[in-house]
Amino acid sequence: MADTKEMKQVLFGPIMDNNPIALQVLGICSALAITTKLETALVMSLALTTVVAFSNLFISLIRNQIPSSVRIIIQMTIIASLVIVVDQILRAYTYEVSKQLSVFVGLIITNCIVMGRAEAYAMKSPPLLSFLDGIGNGLGYSFILIVIGTIKELFGFGTILGFEILPVVQNGGWYQGNGLLILPFSSFFLIGGMVWFIRTIRPEQVEPKE
Amino acid sequence: MGLKAYLEKIEPNFEPGGKHEKWYALYEAAATIFYTPGKVNKATTHVRDAIDLKRIMILVWMATFPAMFYGMYNIGVQANESIIAGAGTLPDAWQAALFAGLGGELGADAGWASLMFYGACFWLPIYAVTFAVGGFWEVLFASVRKHEVNEGFFVTSVLFALTLPATIPLWQVALGITFGVVIAKEVFGGTGRNFLNPALSGRAFLYFAYPAQISGDQVWVAADGYSGATWLSKAAAGDMDYTNMELWWDSFLGNIAGSAGEVSTLAILLGGLFIIYMRIASWRIVAGVALGVAGFATLLNLIGSDTNAMFAMPAHFHFVIGGLAFAMFFMATDPVSAAFTNKGKWAFGIFIGFMTVLIRVVNPAFPEGVMLAILFTNLWAPLFDYFVAQSNIKRRVARVG
Amino acid sequence: MSAKKDSFGKTVGVVVAVCLVCSIVVSGAAVGLREIQQENKKLDKQTNILTAAGLYESGMNSDQVASVYDEKIERRFVDLETGEFTEKPGGEGAEYDMYKAAKQSEMSKTVEDSNVGFQRRANVASVWLVKDESDTVTRVILPVHGSGLWALMYGFLAVDADGKTIKELIYYEQAETPGLGGEVQNPNWQKLWDGKKLYDNGEVAIDVTKGADPSDPYEVDALSGATLTSNGVENTIRYWAGEQGFGPFLKNQAWRS
Repeated sequence: MADTKEMKQVLFGPIMDNNPIALQVLGICSALAITTKLETALVMSLALTTVVAFSNLFISLIRNQIPSSVRIIIQMTIIASLVIVVDQILRAYTYEVSKQLSVFVGLIITNCIVMGRAEAYAMKSPPLLSFLDGIGNGLGYSFILIVIGTIKELFGFGTILGFEILPVVQNGGWYQGNGLLILPFSSFFLIGGMVWFIRTIRPEQVEPKE
Repeated sequence: MGLKAYLEKIEPNFEPGGKHEKWYALYEAAATIFYTPGKVNKATTHVRDAIDLKRIMILVWMATFPAMFYGMYNIGVQANESIIAGAGTLPDAWQAALFAGLGGELGADAGWASLMFYGACFWLPIYAVTFAVGGFWEVLFASVRKHEVNEGFFVTSVLFALTLPATIPLWQVALGITFGVVIAKEVFGGTGRNFLNPALSGRAFLYFAYPAQISGDQVWVAADGYSGATWLSKAAAGDMDYTNMELWWDSFLGNIAGSAGEVSTLAILLGGLFIIYMRIASWRIVAGVALGVAGFATLLNLIGSDTNAMFAMPAHFHFVIGGLAFAMFFMATDPVSAAFTNKGKWAFGIFIGFMTVLIRVVNPAFPEGVMLAILFTNLWAPLFDYFVAQSNIKRRVARVG
Repeated sequence: MSAKKDSFGKTVGVVVAVCLVCSIVVSGAAVGLREIQQENKKLDKQTNILTAAGLYESGMNSDQVASVYDEKIERRFVDLETGEFTEKPGGEGAEYDMYKAAKQSEMSKTVEDSNVGFQRRANVASVWLVKDESDTVTRVILPVHGSGLWALMYGFLAVDADGKTIKELIYYEQAETPGLGGEVQNPNWQKLWDGKKLYDNGEVAIDVTKGADPSDPYEVDALSGATLTSNGVENTIRYWAGEQGFGPFLKNQAWRS
């Protein structure tokens, strides 16, 4: 059984030291597309964390049974099933948000974080650690999404979770919403800025010069 | 004590170990305005030339003067005409108050001096804010990274300010130039390492972030309540008569509304030909853009379209309307973000011309295309150079065997 | 061990087992949740219709929405050619969706002389009548759609019982640029439509234009920075209120009889 220190490392490491988005640059597409509002970012984070955690758990449970010749297909099947289940649940219980997320929940299947963790970690680690690793990576992903979603919603629309913080001009206030932040590609700048920030406080993440 | 002796006397204070070493960048920037630096290259490569980066940049800066002064005059003319015609009123802005406070008056008999003064009251604050805010970032990065302040900013700031409408809020100017300098240039390591044109990046930022203040029908004339379609949007609506050469001359001379820098093709031509003559701007890029625009516009004229009036715009109108002329001479020729090889420059220019017309004519959302065309082509510049170099290598290998 | 793990029989066995388990889980979720999802869809549509009817108050829960809807709203079908009410196409039991019907040539006709942005429209349209306590029709809600800058925009146009005055124009599905064209969904802009007149001398006279005069009964202020979206809205209204759209229906006022 793994000791608590290792579990802590597995759980919290991916947030700052080994962030799936900021260091490994995985899962960018959805981070670009659904961070315009904090609410969608939160739901997406939750959906992804659930999928990574459980796909890691199930794959780890049967890792000794999976024949290596078909292991990718088996991983895909498990991940895809989980994604469909999550998508159905979102549609049933958070209809408004799932309308905004549209295809992006389905596209979790192709999110590199999920496949990456399944192949790199769950295939050779015990179930509990794999589960924690999934949650940890989900948290790392969520951390970036929430920061970006907050910045984009606050400065793009003047709201947070739909509550008005900066009254915008369109509704008779003074704040001129920044239209660039409403567009998906502005996440590129924000993620870039976060990479810059994280690497300034954690200089060991900077790649050595070629 | 002479100025030179004084500068030399205080120099040790700014060198490493001196008491003001943090301010070296500022000292250096000021001192080299007056004298060439005393440093010489210690390695074997040695170039002797009276012109250095700072002189180049100052020449480009001066080359924008015709467009700049005419632009200020034109801001006054446009506002005055709309006020006389009753289409607008004197704006309720501090710029207009400043103008009136200093004894300026508009009206049917206002002379060119007071019109230019009115324009200056609007444009100079934009330029001042650009310079102060952008300069702050330059000096900050120069101080932290311990290098000299780069003169390229001289040009960036004036080009950026010249592309903005007279009525833009100054805080947006500050945000725009911040984006241009920090995101488009400094994050990549500063002057010489940026792959995008900083002035245009800053403008593109404003264009997407605050479109209502930088595009449309109401922002170009500094008179309240005035709304007049730009010539590009008139053309898109099919309201332009291309057989009327008077329109063309109006646009060529600059008797139209627009940002300070873009209105007079004639004034741009004066400055543009000057920097080409000085071998600062590449004539290949400019010729390439001209070729691309003329070729593709003519092709579209021949194809024609029932639903899109822009297809009918002939090439000679493309050149005088909108920001094409200004961008062609001053933005596309930015040596850092353009292609380096001669053939690459041709390809770079032609591609810009082609993209400009494509965006102007086919994309319904963006009336002006040259800004996005140049930024897009900036990304391709290294690829053009790569292919030129590769074909060169291939040819030489084939020759030598 | 590894040789045994990779044997043919074992591989097939594992694959079949995994697929079986996964398919049961997935279909279980889909079937088990279908009812709630359809409830949601219905509720969403009813909420939109109630909004257009001016009956929706924020904070209404699903039961309240359903009961108000059942009480005050009646769905009818209109033959657009004649402007008269007609039977539900395909019979009472069947689902009818006018946007699906528009794709079938025998149930639709081609759009002519309009830049509304789609090629065909259904012959029969759904409309929703809003009734008060005494069963008098107070508003008629018409489904409208037309192209914006990027894609088709779907909405409801609520017209007063006089058949001439706009009460609400709400869009519930659009993909315009957020902050510019996307402001078609801004309630402050939607409010501008209240009280505007559709017709001037029998012609559709709605004009979405910059710097509109708020007291002019036909002019609505365009969305700033979104000329093409605004033109799209104007074309949509002009088409659907015109002869090819609900024009005949609004003229003969079939809901009065």
